[in-house]
Amino acid sequence: MSSVVSISQLAKYYQVSEREGGLKASIASLFNRKYKNVKAVDGITFNIEAGEVVGFLGPNGAGKTTTLKMLSGLLHPTSGSVDVLGYEPRHRSHDYLRQITLVMGNRNQLTWDLPALDSFDLQRAVYGIPMDQFKATRDEFIELLELKDLVTKPVRNLSLGERMKMEIVAALLHRPKVLFLDEPTLGLDVTMQRRIRAFIAEYNKRYNATVLLTSHYMADVEALCKRVIVIHHGRILFDGDLSKLVNQFSSYKTLSLSLQNPDVDLSKYGEVVSKEDGRVTLRVPKAQTSQVTAKLLSELQVDDLTVEDAPVDDVIDQVFSQKEDA
Amino acid sequence: MNTIKLAWTYMRIGMLNELQYRANFFIQLFQSAVAVGTGLIGLSLVFGQVDNLAGWSRGELLAVMGVHILMGGVIRSAIQPNMERLMNDVLNGTLDFALTKPADAQTLVSVREFRFWQLTDVVVGLVILVVAVTQLQAKMEALQIVAFVAALLMGAVLLYCVWLMVTSIAFWVIRVGDIVDLFQGLYAAGRWPVSVYPDWLRTGLTFLVPVAFAVTVPAEAMTNRLTGETMLFALGLTLLFVILARVVWLIGLRSYSGASA
Repeated sequence: MSSVVSISQLAKYYQVSEREGGLKASIASLFNRKYKNVKAVDGITFNIEAGEVVGFLGPNGAGKTTTLKMLSGLLHPTSGSVDVLGYEPRHRSHDYLRQITLVMGNRNQLTWDLPALDSFDLQRAVYGIPMDQFKATRDEFIELLELKDLVTKPVRNLSLGERMKMEIVAALLHRPKVLFLDEPTLGLDVTMQRRIRAFIAEYNKRYNATVLLTSHYMADVEALCKRVIVIHHGRILFDGDLSKLVNQFSSYKTLSLSLQNPDVDLSKYGEVVSKEDGRVTLRVPKAQTSQVTAKLLSELQVDDLTVEDAPVDDVIDQVFSQKEDA
Repeated sequence: MNTIKLAWTYMRIGMLNELQYRANFFIQLFQSAVAVGTGLIGLSLVFGQVDNLAGWSRGELLAVMGVHILMGGVIRSAIQPNMERLMNDVLNGTLDFALTKPADAQTLVSVREFRFWQLTDVVVGLVILVVAVTQLQAKMEALQIVAFVAALLMGAVLLYCVWLMVTSIAFWVIRVGDIVDLFQGLYAAGRWPVSVYPDWLRTGLTFLVPVAFAVTVPAEAMTNRLTGETMLFALGLTLLFVILARVVWLIGLRSYSGASA
Protein backbone atom coordinates (compact mmCIF):
# COMPACT_ATOMS: atom_id res chain seq x y z
CA MET A 1 0.00 0.00 0.00
CA SER A 2 1.49 3.31 -1.00
CA SER A 3 -0.72 5.48 1.16
CA VAL A 4 1.05 7.41 3.88
CA VAL A 5 -2.07 7.84 5.95
CA SER A 6 -4.73 5.19 5.89
CA ILE A 7 -7.81 5.38 8.08
CA SER A 8 -10.63 2.90 8.06
CA GLN A 9 -13.97 3.10 9.90
CA LEU A 10 -12.27 5.19 12.56
CA ALA A 11 -14.42 6.20 15.51
CA LYS A 12 -13.91 7.97 18.81
CA TYR A 13 -16.68 8.16 21.37
CA TYR A 14 -16.41 10.10 24.59
CA GLN A 15 -18.32 9.53 27.77
CA VAL A 16 -19.38 12.93 29.00
CA SER A 17 -21.19 13.43 32.25
CA GLU A 18 -24.16 15.68 31.90
CA ARG A 19 -26.33 17.51 34.35
CA GLU A 20 -28.74 20.36 34.37
CA GLY A 21 -27.73 23.73 35.74
CA GLY A 22 -28.35 24.70 39.33
CA LEU A 23 -27.21 23.62 42.76
CA LYS A 24 -29.72 20.86 43.21
CA ALA A 25 -28.79 19.17 39.97
CA SER A 26 -25.09 19.47 40.66
CA ILE A 27 -25.45 17.86 44.07
CA ALA A 28 -27.58 15.11 42.59
CA SER A 29 -24.96 14.48 39.94
CA LEU A 30 -22.36 13.80 42.63
CA PHE A 31 -24.21 10.63 43.51
CA ASN A 32 -26.02 9.64 40.39
CA ARG A 33 -24.09 10.81 37.40
CA LYS A 34 -25.67 10.49 34.00
CA TYR A 35 -23.36 9.85 31.11
CA LYS A 36 -23.87 10.66 27.51
CA ASN A 37 -21.96 9.10 24.66
CA VAL A 38 -20.61 11.79 22.37
CA LYS A 39 -19.61 10.56 18.94
CA ALA A 40 -16.72 12.90 18.17
CA VAL A 41 -15.64 10.82 15.20
CA ASP A 42 -18.11 8.31 13.86
CA GLY A 43 -16.66 5.91 11.32
CA ILE A 44 -14.52 7.82 8.87
CA THR A 45 -12.43 6.30 6.10
CA PHE A 46 -9.81 7.92 3.88
CA ASN A 47 -6.28 7.52 2.49
CA ILE A 48 -3.65 10.15 1.88
CA GLU A 49 -0.79 9.55 -0.55
CA ALA A 50 2.79 10.68 -0.10
CA GLY A 51 3.29 14.37 -0.83
CA GLU A 52 -0.39 15.25 -0.76
CA VAL A 53 -1.60 18.38 1.01
CA VAL A 54 -5.12 17.76 2.23
CA GLY A 55 -7.45 20.29 3.80
CA PHE A 56 -9.55 18.98 6.62
CA LEU A 57 -12.65 21.13 6.96
CA GLY A 58 -15.57 21.28 9.28
CA PRO A 59 -17.25 23.52 11.84
CA ASN A 60 -16.13 23.58 15.47
CA GLY A 61 -16.71 20.26 17.15
CA ALA A 62 -16.91 18.36 13.87
CA GLY A 63 -14.18 15.94 14.93
CA LYS A 64 -11.16 17.41 13.15
CA THR A 65 -8.91 17.82 16.17
CA THR A 66 -9.96 14.45 17.57
CA THR A 67 -8.93 12.84 14.29
CA LEU A 68 -5.59 14.66 14.27
CA LYS A 69 -5.00 13.53 17.84
CA MET A 70 -5.70 9.93 16.95
CA LEU A 71 -3.32 10.25 14.01
CA SER A 72 -0.56 11.59 16.22
CA GLY A 73 -1.07 8.90 18.85
CA LEU A 74 -2.51 11.12 21.57
CA LEU A 75 -5.90 9.51 21.64
CA HIS A 76 -6.76 5.87 21.32
CA PRO A 77 -9.56 5.12 18.84
CA THR A 78 -12.77 3.58 20.12
CA SER A 79 -12.90 1.44 16.99
CA GLY A 80 -11.55 1.29 13.47
CA SER A 81 -7.98 1.36 12.30
CA VAL A 82 -5.31 3.99 11.74
CA ASP A 83 -2.10 3.41 9.87
CA VAL A 84 0.48 6.11 9.24
CA LEU A 85 3.78 5.25 7.54
CA GLY A 86 3.16 1.64 8.48
CA TYR A 87 2.80 2.43 12.19
CA GLU A 88 -0.14 2.30 14.52
CA PRO A 89 0.03 5.77 16.07
CA ARG A 90 -1.46 4.82 19.45
CA HIS A 91 1.69 2.86 20.31
CA ARG A 92 3.63 6.11 20.07
CA SER A 93 6.70 4.28 18.86
CA HIS A 94 9.70 6.59 18.90
CA ASP A 95 10.50 5.69 15.29
CA TYR A 96 7.04 6.86 14.34
CA LEU A 97 7.10 10.07 16.39
CA ARG A 98 10.43 11.01 14.82
CA GLN A 99 8.74 11.15 11.40
CA ILE A 100 5.69 13.23 12.23
CA THR A 101 4.90 16.56 13.77
CA LEU A 102 1.85 18.16 15.31
CA VAL A 103 1.31 21.90 15.25
CA MET A 104 -1.58 23.41 17.18
CA GLY A 105 -2.23 27.04 16.39
CA ASN A 106 -3.74 27.73 19.79
CA ARG A 107 -0.97 26.17 21.89
CA ASN A 108 2.71 26.87 22.26
CA GLN A 109 5.57 24.59 22.94
CA LEU A 110 8.39 27.14 22.90
CA THR A 111 9.78 28.15 26.27
CA TRP A 112 8.31 31.54 27.04
CA ASP A 113 11.31 33.19 28.69
CA LEU A 114 13.97 31.88 26.36
CA PRO A 115 15.05 32.95 22.90
CA ALA A 116 13.65 30.59 20.28
CA LEU A 117 17.20 29.46 19.47
CA ASP A 118 17.37 27.73 22.85
CA SER A 119 14.06 25.99 22.27
CA PHE A 120 15.42 24.81 18.91
CA ASP A 121 18.38 23.34 20.79
CA LEU A 122 16.01 21.45 23.03
CA GLN A 123 14.24 20.06 19.98
CA ARG A 124 17.60 18.88 18.68
CA ALA A 125 18.28 17.05 21.93
CA VAL A 126 14.81 15.50 22.11
CA TYR A 127 14.81 14.31 18.51
CA GLY A 128 18.52 13.45 18.49
CA ILE A 129 19.11 15.43 15.29
CA PRO A 130 22.73 15.28 14.09
CA MET A 131 24.42 18.67 14.58
CA ASP A 132 25.19 19.43 10.92
CA GLN A 133 21.71 18.48 9.76
CA PHE A 134 20.23 20.52 12.59
CA LYS A 135 22.20 23.64 11.72
CA ALA A 136 21.46 23.32 8.02
CA THR A 137 17.71 22.89 8.57
CA ARG A 138 17.52 25.61 11.20
CA ASP A 139 19.33 28.15 9.06
CA GLU A 140 17.32 27.19 6.00
CA PHE A 141 14.04 27.77 7.85
CA ILE A 142 15.23 30.95 9.51
CA GLU A 143 16.06 32.35 6.12
CA LEU A 144 12.83 31.19 4.46
CA LEU A 145 10.75 32.84 7.16
CA GLU A 146 13.06 35.84 7.62
CA LEU A 147 13.54 35.30 11.32
CA LYS A 148 17.22 36.13 11.58
CA ASP A 149 16.88 39.12 13.91
CA LEU A 150 14.20 37.51 16.05
CA VAL A 151 15.64 34.16 17.06
CA THR A 152 17.75 35.66 19.83
CA LYS A 153 14.85 37.53 21.45
CA PRO A 154 12.93 35.90 24.30
CA VAL A 155 9.78 34.35 22.88
CA ARG A 156 7.58 36.44 25.17
CA ASN A 157 8.75 39.59 23.35
CA LEU A 158 7.60 38.35 19.94
CA SER A 159 4.33 39.17 18.23
CA LEU A 160 1.74 36.45 17.78
CA GLY A 161 2.70 35.95 14.14
CA GLU A 162 6.43 35.88 14.84
CA ARG A 163 5.84 33.38 17.60
CA MET A 164 3.81 31.14 15.30
CA LYS A 165 6.61 31.18 12.74
CA MET A 166 9.02 30.08 15.46
CA GLU A 167 6.62 27.37 16.56
CA ILE A 168 6.52 26.02 13.03
CA VAL A 169 10.31 26.09 12.70
CA ALA A 170 10.63 24.21 16.00
CA ALA A 171 8.04 21.67 14.91
CA LEU A 172 9.77 20.97 11.60
CA LEU A 173 13.44 20.92 12.63
CA HIS A 174 13.54 17.15 12.58
CA ARG A 175 12.22 17.22 8.99
CA PRO A 176 9.10 15.15 9.57
CA LYS A 177 7.56 13.27 6.67
CA VAL A 178 4.02 13.80 7.86
CA LEU A 179 2.63 17.09 9.16
CA PHE A 180 -0.56 17.42 11.19
CA LEU A 181 -1.40 21.10 11.31
CA ASP A 182 -4.33 22.15 13.45
CA GLU A 183 -5.24 25.76 12.67
CA PRO A 184 -1.64 26.85 12.06
CA THR A 185 -2.68 30.37 11.08
CA LEU A 186 -5.24 30.96 13.83
CA GLY A 187 -5.53 34.61 14.78
CA LEU A 188 -2.82 35.83 12.42
CA ASP A 189 -3.10 38.79 10.09
CA VAL A 190 -3.40 38.24 6.35
CA THR A 191 0.27 38.89 5.55
CA MET A 192 1.45 36.53 8.23
CA GLN A 193 -1.03 33.87 7.11
CA ARG A 194 0.32 34.15 3.61
CA ARG A 195 3.90 33.78 4.81
CA ILE A 196 3.17 30.68 6.77
CA ARG A 197 1.18 29.23 3.92
CA ALA A 198 4.06 29.82 1.51
CA PHE A 199 6.42 28.17 3.94
CA ILE A 200 4.27 25.09 4.31
CA ALA A 201 3.99 24.84 0.53
CA GLU A 202 7.75 25.16 0.19
CA TYR A 203 8.38 22.53 2.84
CA ASN A 204 5.95 20.17 1.12
CA LYS A 205 7.78 20.67 -2.15
CA ARG A 206 11.31 20.35 -0.82
CA TYR A 207 10.80 17.29 1.33
CA ASN A 208 7.81 15.70 -0.41
CA ALA A 209 6.05 15.83 2.96
CA THR A 210 2.47 14.77 3.44
CA VAL A 211 0.28 17.40 5.08
CA LEU A 212 -3.12 17.21 6.71
CA LEU A 213 -4.28 20.67 7.64
CA THR A 214 -7.31 22.12 9.36
CA SER A 215 -8.10 25.78 9.04
CA HIS A 216 -10.97 28.16 9.38
CA TYR A 217 -9.43 30.36 6.76
CA MET A 218 -10.52 29.18 3.35
CA ALA A 219 -7.63 31.13 1.85
CA ASP A 220 -5.26 28.65 3.52
CA VAL A 221 -7.10 25.76 2.02
CA GLU A 222 -7.43 27.28 -1.43
CA ALA A 223 -3.74 28.13 -1.57
CA LEU A 224 -2.42 24.84 -0.25
CA CYS A 225 -4.84 22.02 -0.81
CA LYS A 226 -5.95 20.45 -4.03
CA ARG A 227 -7.98 17.97 -2.09
CA VAL A 228 -10.32 18.58 0.81
CA ILE A 229 -12.09 16.32 3.23
CA VAL A 230 -15.19 17.82 4.80
CA ILE A 231 -16.30 16.40 8.12
CA HIS A 232 -19.43 17.17 10.09
CA HIS A 233 -20.80 15.52 13.24
CA GLY A 234 -17.95 13.03 13.02
CA ARG A 235 -18.82 11.86 9.51
CA ILE A 236 -17.29 12.61 6.15
CA LEU A 237 -19.53 14.71 3.90
CA PHE A 238 -17.14 15.15 1.04
CA ASP A 239 -13.73 13.91 -0.01
CA GLY A 240 -12.25 15.09 -3.29
CA ASP A 241 -10.95 18.01 -5.32
CA LEU A 242 -11.67 21.43 -4.00
CA SER A 243 -13.06 22.46 -7.39
CA LYS A 244 -15.47 19.54 -7.32
CA LEU A 245 -16.69 20.56 -3.90
CA VAL A 246 -17.66 23.93 -5.29
CA ASN A 247 -19.31 22.34 -8.30
CA GLN A 248 -21.20 19.79 -6.31
CA PHE A 249 -22.50 21.92 -3.50
CA SER A 250 -22.73 25.40 -4.86
CA SER A 251 -26.21 26.08 -6.12
CA TYR A 252 -25.44 29.50 -7.52
CA LYS A 253 -22.84 31.55 -9.35
CA THR A 254 -21.80 35.12 -8.87
CA LEU A 255 -22.14 37.62 -11.71
CA SER A 256 -20.19 40.79 -11.43
CA LEU A 257 -20.99 43.59 -13.90
CA SER A 258 -20.38 47.24 -14.67
CA LEU A 259 -23.22 49.13 -16.24
CA GLN A 260 -23.28 52.36 -18.20
CA ASN A 261 -26.31 53.35 -16.20
CA PRO A 262 -25.66 52.10 -12.69
CA ASP A 263 -29.08 53.07 -11.35
CA VAL A 264 -31.04 50.32 -13.08
CA ASP A 265 -32.87 47.97 -10.81
CA LEU A 266 -31.39 44.50 -11.29
CA SER A 267 -33.40 42.57 -8.75
CA LYS A 268 -35.49 40.87 -11.41
CA TYR A 269 -32.33 39.17 -12.77
CA GLY A 270 -31.11 37.78 -9.50
CA GLU A 271 -30.30 38.56 -5.89
CA VAL A 272 -28.27 41.78 -5.61
CA VAL A 273 -25.42 41.13 -3.21
CA SER A 274 -23.59 44.42 -3.43
CA LYS A 275 -23.59 47.62 -5.42
CA GLU A 276 -20.70 50.00 -5.26
CA ASP A 277 -18.72 52.25 -7.58
CA GLY A 278 -20.99 51.31 -10.43
CA ARG A 279 -20.18 47.64 -10.04
CA VAL A 280 -23.00 45.26 -9.13
CA THR A 281 -22.71 41.76 -7.81
CA LEU A 282 -25.57 39.39 -8.50
CA ARG A 283 -26.24 35.93 -7.13
CA VAL A 284 -27.91 33.68 -9.69
CA PRO A 285 -29.01 30.04 -9.44
CA LYS A 286 -26.44 27.91 -11.25
CA ALA A 287 -28.88 26.39 -13.74
CA GLN A 288 -30.02 29.82 -14.92
CA THR A 289 -26.59 31.40 -15.26
CA SER A 290 -26.30 31.37 -19.02
CA GLN A 291 -29.91 32.42 -19.49
CA VAL A 292 -29.56 35.40 -17.13
CA THR A 293 -26.23 36.40 -18.64
CA ALA A 294 -27.72 36.46 -22.11
CA LYS A 295 -30.68 38.46 -20.91
CA LEU A 296 -28.48 41.03 -19.14
CA LEU A 297 -26.29 41.50 -22.18
CA SER A 298 -29.23 41.94 -24.53
CA GLU A 299 -31.41 44.15 -22.33
CA LEU A 300 -28.82 46.45 -20.72
CA GLN A 301 -25.78 48.46 -21.67
CA VAL A 302 -23.11 46.30 -20.04
CA ASP A 303 -19.47 47.48 -19.99
CA ASP A 304 -18.03 44.43 -18.37
CA LEU A 305 -19.31 41.14 -17.02
CA THR A 306 -17.65 38.23 -15.24
CA VAL A 307 -19.10 34.94 -14.06
CA GLU A 308 -17.51 33.34 -11.01
CA ASP A 309 -18.05 30.34 -8.83
CA ALA A 310 -19.36 31.15 -5.41
CA PRO A 311 -16.61 31.83 -2.84
CA VAL A 312 -15.52 28.61 -1.18
CA ASP A 313 -16.42 30.02 2.21
CA ASP A 314 -20.04 30.36 1.18
CA VAL A 315 -20.06 26.91 -0.33
CA ILE A 316 -18.77 25.35 2.84
CA ASP A 317 -21.35 27.27 4.81
CA GLN A 318 -24.00 25.94 2.55
CA VAL A 319 -22.76 22.37 2.81
CA PHE A 320 -23.10 22.48 6.56
CA SER A 321 -26.46 24.17 6.64
CA GLN A 322 -27.89 21.78 4.05
CA LYS A 323 -26.86 18.78 6.08
CA GLU A 324 -28.16 20.37 9.22
CA ASP A 325 -31.62 20.57 7.70
CA ALA A 326 -31.52 17.09 6.25
CA MET B 1 22.58 7.59 28.27
CA ASN B 2 20.14 9.54 26.17
CA THR B 3 18.24 10.44 29.32
CA ILE B 4 21.31 12.02 30.86
CA LYS B 5 22.06 13.92 27.66
CA LEU B 6 18.49 15.15 27.51
CA ALA B 7 18.47 16.17 31.17
CA TRP B 8 21.77 17.94 30.75
CA THR B 9 20.52 19.92 27.73
CA TYR B 10 17.47 21.08 29.66
CA MET B 11 19.59 21.86 32.71
CA ARG B 12 22.12 23.82 30.69
CA ILE B 13 19.44 25.90 29.01
CA GLY B 14 17.55 26.40 32.27
CA MET B 15 20.77 27.59 33.83
CA LEU B 16 21.52 30.01 31.02
CA ASN B 17 18.02 31.34 31.41
CA GLU B 18 18.30 31.91 35.13
CA LEU B 19 21.73 33.46 34.95
CA GLN B 20 20.05 36.36 33.17
CA TYR B 21 18.15 37.15 36.33
CA ARG B 22 20.78 37.89 38.93
CA ALA B 23 18.21 39.40 41.26
CA ASN B 24 16.78 35.92 41.78
CA PHE B 25 20.09 34.85 43.25
CA PHE B 26 19.97 37.55 45.92
CA ILE B 27 16.34 36.87 46.70
CA GLN B 28 17.19 33.22 47.06
CA LEU B 29 20.17 33.99 49.25
CA PHE B 30 17.95 36.11 51.47
CA GLN B 31 15.37 33.32 51.72
CA SER B 32 18.08 30.83 52.64
CA ALA B 33 19.37 33.20 55.33
CA VAL B 34 15.88 33.54 56.80
CA ALA B 35 15.44 29.77 56.79
CA VAL B 36 18.77 29.24 58.52
CA GLY B 37 18.05 32.01 61.03
CA THR B 38 14.64 30.70 62.07
CA GLY B 39 16.04 27.17 62.17
CA LEU B 40 18.82 28.17 64.53
CA ILE B 41 16.42 30.10 66.78
CA GLY B 42 14.19 27.02 66.91
CA LEU B 43 17.12 24.84 67.90
CA SER B 44 18.31 27.19 70.63
CA LEU B 45 14.75 27.45 72.01
CA VAL B 46 14.54 23.66 72.28
CA PHE B 47 17.93 23.29 73.84
CA GLY B 48 17.21 26.09 76.30
CA GLN B 49 14.76 23.60 77.84
CA VAL B 50 16.29 20.16 77.35
CA ASP B 51 19.65 18.48 76.76
CA ASN B 52 18.47 16.21 74.00
CA LEU B 53 15.44 15.62 71.85
CA ALA B 54 14.38 11.98 71.57
CA GLY B 55 18.01 11.04 71.87
CA TRP B 56 19.33 13.62 69.39
CA SER B 57 21.92 16.10 70.66
CA ARG B 58 22.13 19.71 69.57
CA GLY B 59 24.91 19.05 67.04
CA GLU B 60 23.01 16.11 65.62
CA LEU B 61 19.87 18.16 65.19
CA LEU B 62 21.94 20.79 63.42
CA ALA B 63 22.94 18.05 60.99
CA VAL B 64 19.25 17.19 60.46
CA MET B 65 18.54 20.84 59.76
CA GLY B 66 21.40 20.93 57.25
CA VAL B 67 20.05 17.91 55.38
CA HIS B 68 16.53 19.37 55.51
CA ILE B 69 17.65 22.60 53.88
CA LEU B 70 19.81 20.74 51.37
CA MET B 71 17.00 18.41 50.32
CA GLY B 72 14.61 21.36 50.19
CA GLY B 73 16.97 22.92 47.64
CA VAL B 74 16.94 19.74 45.57
CA ILE B 75 13.14 19.66 45.64
CA ARG B 76 12.75 23.28 44.61
CA SER B 77 15.41 23.21 41.91
CA ALA B 78 14.62 19.94 40.19
CA ILE B 79 11.48 18.17 41.41
CA GLN B 80 8.81 20.74 42.17
CA PRO B 81 9.23 22.89 39.00
CA ASN B 82 8.87 19.85 36.77
CA MET B 83 5.81 18.57 38.59
CA GLU B 84 4.16 21.99 38.53
CA ARG B 85 4.79 22.27 34.83
CA LEU B 86 3.33 18.81 34.31
CA MET B 87 0.22 19.85 36.19
CA ASN B 88 -0.15 22.98 34.06
CA ASP B 89 0.45 21.00 30.90
CA VAL B 90 -2.37 18.64 31.76
CA LEU B 91 -4.60 21.60 32.57
CA ASN B 92 -3.81 23.48 29.35
CA GLY B 93 -3.53 20.52 27.02
CA THR B 94 0.11 21.32 26.24
CA LEU B 95 1.14 17.90 27.50
CA ASP B 96 0.30 16.81 23.94
CA PHE B 97 3.62 18.26 22.84
CA ALA B 98 5.57 16.16 25.32
CA LEU B 99 3.66 13.05 24.31
CA THR B 100 4.40 13.44 20.62
CA LYS B 101 8.15 13.51 21.21
CA PRO B 102 10.31 10.46 20.52
CA ALA B 103 11.44 10.19 24.14
CA ASP B 104 10.13 8.43 27.20
CA ALA B 105 7.35 10.73 28.36
CA GLN B 106 7.99 10.23 32.07
CA THR B 107 11.65 11.08 31.64
CA LEU B 108 10.80 14.08 29.52
CA VAL B 109 8.32 15.60 31.96
CA SER B 110 10.77 15.02 34.82
CA VAL B 111 13.76 16.87 33.41
CA ARG B 112 12.29 19.83 31.57
CA GLU B 113 12.64 22.41 34.31
CA PHE B 114 15.62 23.33 36.42
CA ARG B 115 15.87 26.26 38.85
CA PHE B 116 19.51 26.99 39.16
CA TRP B 117 19.41 29.57 41.96
CA GLN B 118 17.52 27.21 44.24
CA LEU B 119 20.77 25.29 44.47
CA THR B 120 21.81 28.02 46.92
CA ASP B 121 19.95 26.00 49.52
CA VAL B 122 21.94 22.92 48.63
CA VAL B 123 25.17 24.81 49.31
CA VAL B 124 23.83 26.40 52.51
CA GLY B 125 22.58 23.01 53.72
CA LEU B 126 25.97 21.45 53.04
CA VAL B 127 27.77 24.19 54.98
CA ILE B 128 25.49 23.69 57.99
CA LEU B 129 26.01 19.95 57.76
CA VAL B 130 29.80 20.32 57.70
CA VAL B 131 29.67 22.68 60.70
CA ALA B 132 27.44 20.22 62.58
CA VAL B 133 29.63 17.24 61.80
CA THR B 134 32.87 18.96 62.82
CA GLN B 135 31.20 19.85 66.12
CA LEU B 136 30.33 16.21 66.65
CA GLN B 137 33.53 14.49 65.62
CA ALA B 138 36.91 15.30 64.22
CA LYS B 139 37.04 13.05 61.20
CA MET B 140 34.64 11.69 58.62
CA GLU B 141 35.06 8.17 57.38
CA ALA B 142 34.84 7.48 53.65
CA LEU B 143 32.16 4.85 54.16
CA GLN B 144 30.07 7.32 56.11
CA ILE B 145 30.16 9.79 53.25
CA VAL B 146 29.26 7.09 50.72
CA ALA B 147 26.33 6.00 52.90
CA PHE B 148 25.24 9.62 53.27
CA VAL B 149 25.31 10.30 49.52
CA ALA B 150 23.49 7.05 48.80
CA ALA B 151 20.84 7.81 51.43
CA LEU B 152 20.43 11.31 50.03
CA LEU B 153 20.00 10.04 46.48
CA MET B 154 17.47 7.44 47.53
CA GLY B 155 15.62 10.08 49.53
CA ALA B 156 15.45 12.38 46.52
CA VAL B 157 14.21 9.56 44.30
CA LEU B 158 11.55 8.66 46.88
CA LEU B 159 10.31 12.23 47.07
CA TYR B 160 10.23 12.44 43.29
CA CYS B 161 8.21 9.23 43.06
CA VAL B 162 5.64 10.39 45.59
CA TRP B 163 5.35 13.74 43.89
CA LEU B 164 4.93 12.14 40.47
CA MET B 165 2.18 9.88 41.79
CA VAL B 166 0.37 12.81 43.34
CA THR B 167 0.75 14.88 40.17
CA SER B 168 -0.52 11.98 38.07
CA ILE B 169 -3.83 12.41 39.84
CA ALA B 170 -4.13 15.46 37.61
CA PHE B 171 -4.93 13.10 34.76
CA TRP B 172 -8.22 12.35 36.46
CA VAL B 173 -9.13 15.42 38.46
CA ILE B 174 -7.21 18.10 36.52
CA ARG B 175 -6.88 20.55 39.43
CA VAL B 176 -4.44 19.33 42.05
CA GLY B 177 -2.63 22.60 42.77
CA ASP B 178 -3.46 22.53 46.47
CA ILE B 179 -1.67 19.24 46.85
CA VAL B 180 1.62 21.04 46.35
CA ASP B 181 0.93 23.14 49.45
CA LEU B 182 0.03 20.06 51.43
CA PHE B 183 3.24 18.44 50.34
CA GLN B 184 5.30 21.42 51.42
CA GLY B 185 3.59 21.48 54.79
CA LEU B 186 4.46 17.85 55.36
CA TYR B 187 8.00 18.35 54.19
CA ALA B 188 8.40 21.09 56.79
CA ALA B 189 7.88 18.39 59.42
CA GLY B 190 11.17 16.89 58.28
CA ARG B 191 13.21 19.59 59.99
CA TRP B 192 13.03 17.42 63.12
CA PRO B 193 14.07 13.77 63.11
CA VAL B 194 10.96 11.65 62.61
CA SER B 195 11.60 9.80 65.88
CA VAL B 196 10.36 12.88 67.80
CA TYR B 197 6.86 12.45 66.37
CA PRO B 198 4.11 10.14 67.67
CA ASP B 199 3.80 6.76 65.98
CA TRP B 200 0.96 7.54 63.61
CA LEU B 201 2.66 10.65 62.28
CA ARG B 202 5.98 8.88 62.02
CA THR B 203 4.41 6.17 59.89
CA GLY B 204 2.89 8.79 57.64
CA LEU B 205 6.18 10.63 57.32
CA THR B 206 7.91 7.37 56.48
CA PHE B 207 5.61 5.81 53.96
CA LEU B 208 3.17 8.42 52.68
CA VAL B 209 5.55 11.33 52.35
CA PRO B 210 8.92 9.70 52.84
CA VAL B 211 10.46 12.60 54.72
CA ALA B 212 12.02 10.07 57.06
CA PHE B 213 14.11 8.65 54.27
CA ALA B 214 14.72 11.95 52.55
CA VAL B 215 16.03 13.76 55.65
CA THR B 216 16.33 11.66 58.78
CA VAL B 217 18.14 8.71 57.24
CA PRO B 218 20.85 10.76 55.48
CA ALA B 219 21.31 12.68 58.74
CA GLU B 220 21.66 9.36 60.55
CA ALA B 221 24.41 8.45 58.14
CA MET B 222 26.34 11.54 59.15
CA THR B 223 25.83 11.02 62.87
CA ASN B 224 26.81 7.36 63.17
CA ARG B 225 23.27 6.20 63.79
CA LEU B 226 22.67 4.44 60.52
CA THR B 227 22.38 0.67 60.46
CA GLY B 228 22.78 -1.63 57.50
CA GLU B 229 19.18 -2.75 57.90
CA THR B 230 17.88 0.79 57.53
CA MET B 231 19.90 1.24 54.35
CA LEU B 232 18.62 -2.02 52.89
CA PHE B 233 15.09 -1.07 53.82
CA ALA B 234 15.54 2.32 52.18
CA LEU B 235 16.82 0.64 49.04
CA GLY B 236 13.87 -1.74 48.94
CA LEU B 237 11.38 1.07 49.50
CA THR B 238 13.00 3.19 46.81
CA LEU B 239 12.76 0.40 44.25
CA LEU B 240 9.15 -0.23 45.21
CA PHE B 241 8.26 3.45 44.86
CA VAL B 242 10.03 3.72 41.50
CA ILE B 243 7.90 0.87 40.17
CA LEU B 244 4.72 2.18 41.79
CA ALA B 245 5.27 5.67 40.38
CA ARG B 246 5.85 4.23 36.91
CA VAL B 247 2.64 2.21 37.11
CA VAL B 248 0.54 5.14 38.35
CA TRP B 249 2.02 7.36 35.65
CA LEU B 250 1.26 4.84 32.90
CA ILE B 251 -2.31 4.31 34.09
CA GLY B 252 -2.78 8.08 34.27
CA LEU B 253 -1.43 8.47 30.78
CA ARG B 254 -3.75 5.82 29.47
CA SER B 255 -6.73 7.56 30.96
CA TYR B 256 -5.52 10.80 29.37
CA SER B 257 -5.34 9.13 25.95
CA GLY B 258 -8.57 7.26 26.47
CA ALA B 259 -10.89 10.05 27.41
CA SER B 260 -9.61 13.59 27.13
CA ALA B 261 -10.97 15.81 24.42
